[in-house]
Amino acid sequence: MSSSWLILLFPLAGFIFLSLYGERISKALAGWIGCGVVGASFLASLVALSDLLFMPAEERVGRVHVLYQWISAASFKLDFAILVDPLSVFMFLIVTGVGFVIHVYSVSYMHDDPEYSRFFAYLNLFIFSMLVLVAAADFFFLIVGWALVGLASYLLIGFWKEKTSAVLAARKAFVMNVIGDVGMVIAAFAIFESFGTLSFVEVFAAAPGTFRPNDDQILLITLLLLVGAFAKSAQLPLHTWLPDAMEGPTPVSALIHAATMVTAGVYLIARCHVLYELAPYTMYLIAGVGVLTAVFAGTMGMVQYDIKRVIAYSTMSQLGYMFLAMGLGVYSLGMFHLMTHAFFKALLFLAAGSVIHALDGEQDIRKMGGLQKIMPLTHATFLIGALALAGFPLTSGYFSKEAIILSSYHEDMGNFVFWAIAVLTAGMTAFYIFRVYFYTFIGKTRSPEAHPHESPLLMVLPLLILATLALGGGVLGPWVDEFLGPVFGREVHHHHDGALETIALFVGIGGIVTAALLYFTGKKRMELVKEAFAPLYDLLFNKYYIDEIYDLLIVKPTKAIGAFLEEKAEKEGIDFAVDQIGFQIKEVSRGISVWQSGRVRNYALNMIAGMVVILLFVVFL
Amino acid sequence: MFDLATVFEFTRDTVILTVGITAVLASLGVILCSSPIYCALYLISHMICLALLFLLYNAEFLAVVQIIVYAGAVMILFLFIIALLGGRKEVQENSLERSIAFGLIFTLLGELYLSATVGPTKQIEGTINSEMFGTAKAIGLELFSKHIVAFELASAVLLVAAVGVICLAKFSFTPLKRR
Amino acid sequence: MGQEFVLLVSASVFCIGACGFVIRKNPLIMFMSVELMLNSVNFLLITYSSFLNSLDGQIFALFIMTVAAAEVVVGLAIILTIFRTRHEMDVDHIDALKG
Repeated sequence: MSSSWLILLFPLAGFIFLSLYGERISKALAGWIGCGVVGASFLASLVALSDLLFMPAEERVGRVHVLYQWISAASFKLDFAILVDPLSVFMFLIVTGVGFVIHVYSVSYMHDDPEYSRFFAYLNLFIFSMLVLVAAADFFFLIVGWALVGLASYLLIGFWKEKTSAVLAARKAFVMNVIGDVGMVIAAFAIFESFGTLSFVEVFAAAPGTFRPNDDQILLITLLLLVGAFAKSAQLPLHTWLPDAMEGPTPVSALIHAATMVTAGVYLIARCHVLYELAPYTMYLIAGVGVLTAVFAGTMGMVQYDIKRVIAYSTMSQLGYMFLAMGLGVYSLGMFHLMTHAFFKALLFLAAGSVIHALDGEQDIRKMGGLQKIMPLTHATFLIGALALAGFPLTSGYFSKEAIILSSYHEDMGNFVFWAIAVLTAGMTAFYIFRVYFYTFIGKTRSPEAHPHESPLLMVLPLLILATLALGGGVLGPWVDEFLGPVFGREVHHHHDGALETIALFVGIGGIVTAALLYFTGKKRMELVKEAFAPLYDLLFNKYYIDEIYDLLIVKPTKAIGAFLEEKAEKEGIDFAVDQIGFQIKEVSRGISVWQSGRVRNYALNMIAGMVVILLFVVFL
Repeated sequence: MFDLATVFEFTRDTVILTVGITAVLASLGVILCSSPIYCALYLISHMICLALLFLLYNAEFLAVVQIIVYAGAVMILFLFIIALLGGRKEVQENSLERSIAFGLIFTLLGELYLSATVGPTKQIEGTINSEMFGTAKAIGLELFSKHIVAFELASAVLLVAAVGVICLAKFSFTPLKRR
Repeated sequence: MGQEFVLLVSASVFCIGACGFVIRKNPLIMFMSVELMLNSVNFLLITYSSFLNSLDGQIFALFIMTVAAAEVVVGLAIILTIFRTRHEMDVDHIDALKG
């Protein structure tokens, strides 16, 4: 058993311990156990990283650690194994690293919650599930982790179970995720049918020899896997759950719905890149959907007033960028953006959480303002996060996003449309995040009755760590390329195109300036703009009415069918059958119970009758 | 004209036949008498008949045990209990159950006999070659060598039975109420 | 005398015992019927021990007698206890376990 298993075992142990004994130990202890196991897991990930770094690059891939053979049935073999290669270690580090920081933040953020230990138990469960997902060495455990992550997400979104909206949001997220799970499971069946195995290493080794590019079967497999990826990463058209998921506690939004879980789809495509390269059509679809989601979410984010929802839409939009990178085949750029995004998006969420915390749960940016002086550290870190998200030069977001935008034009599959939309989205991103920033931190306070204050040290410290990473994470770019290179088996060509870079830069800064102009010129200008584009504004504000469309097309008919089935099939069919089975069994038992007369002589008679029958066989057969 | 062996054989067969039929008749008496006391007496006579048959089939020791333990101790116990509870006569009525029982019993009898003669069971003929066969010494040698464990277990069974009876006799039980 | 006769006697006594157990209501007589059945088996074991020239059958019969003795003692004690509490001897009335 290699030490890499410890990465998985620590959070699992934390989860089990906190769920069994969480109620009996003190709050502080529960919190620090929750953090400690994730921290230990992070250290174990670092050990795994150093192991990898000390071996030659070409030996780093395909290192499967088998614990034992779990199932061996005819042609189906399943090992209890994890895959420790640069890609999974990269994900380990992000999950446990960002996870640890957010855990520490939660210690302070959730301090007043009565069900403190339950929260940490769920968080640990989530970390464990996510690690199972990225450590899986076959599609089976990938799906196990996939579903477990969905479960943890459900539990955490609905953590405040007294809040109806939270419970409904949790249900929505779960249902959407299960749609993805179904796609994944069917994909696994299709893979097993084609390859006779579920192991990543074997499947990827066999794939190029089995299929020609764009074979029906490989298209089917990649598309079904994509259903899972889209559902988990909130891409069109399965995106509706992500904004609603903001009903959960803010650290949850930061951890699950920004930094880690939603990137599982990106990870899946990176992991299965061998399959996707055999299906260029699917790649094209990924890039298209990614860029569409990016612009789509960006437009919706521009008009929302809930601070967390804006950030949630920006998450969707950034995920769109990652999918674009995946679709273009520049995997390590996508993974690099995944990493920087994890840093600055977790930072933004935590800073927003700090604001919400200070304002006693207020999430509407129209009621905020002027927090710049009162919360200097939160302000500074939020600004760094916003700059990184907007792709301001020299922040981490600049390096990763610029590279993706350039690739969208220069890669084989790239074209002008992709590039234009990506640049437009970058502008929108800069606009909406600075709209939030100006509303929240600049100007005069809009709710005089609130008494905001700077957050405690335990909340600020994580902000500072993440701010450092968000600011300086860009320098890791070349290293990420090199480290992940062996997995993807191809060098990423870095394009340099002064004109395009300048345009993108100016669009980004233009977004910031637009936000500033609209904001600083007072309310009137804003109202004017709002009225000038009233129909468009309504459309955006109502999120393109997608929830309503889904409601009309899917939910209502389903409900009608359900009501019909309840009336006819349930009550008159199943219930009747069940009742009758019970009733008939009762009747028959009553009839049979005559035989249990309680009289010894009758029993003896029955025994003799039995003997007679048995002897009949002995004599005549 | 008659040699001694033939005469001896004939006599033995006659005795076995007579005693066997007597045993069956006595057992019939056990189940047909309405008074328990007569039943007990018929059972004693049945057992004595069986003891005789045991003797005729080279089982001297068991014949003695049969008389002492069964016809003696066990049946005396029965008689004591009958004396204690009162030997009331039992009303015999004819019911459907009873006819079913008779039907089944006769079928069973037929089947048992058929299974013993018609089936794969083979006739076995052997001769007694030892003078010792069936004597107390032979039984004892066998019992305390080959069957010592079973013997000890039997003693444990008897002990448990004794303890059980003491418990039943010593502690009184309240009648069980129906539901 | 041949084995058929022995088998016939044994089978008849066994069946008579079984019959007695079923048709009689007095628990004492039912017990006697059980003794009849046990005895029929004993008889068979002993005669065949003689036919087969092996003492095992006799040993077996001895154990059956032992167990039968124990069984009679316990059974009679139970009958006595029942009589002490219910003051009647009809087994058909003892049906507390009726379903």
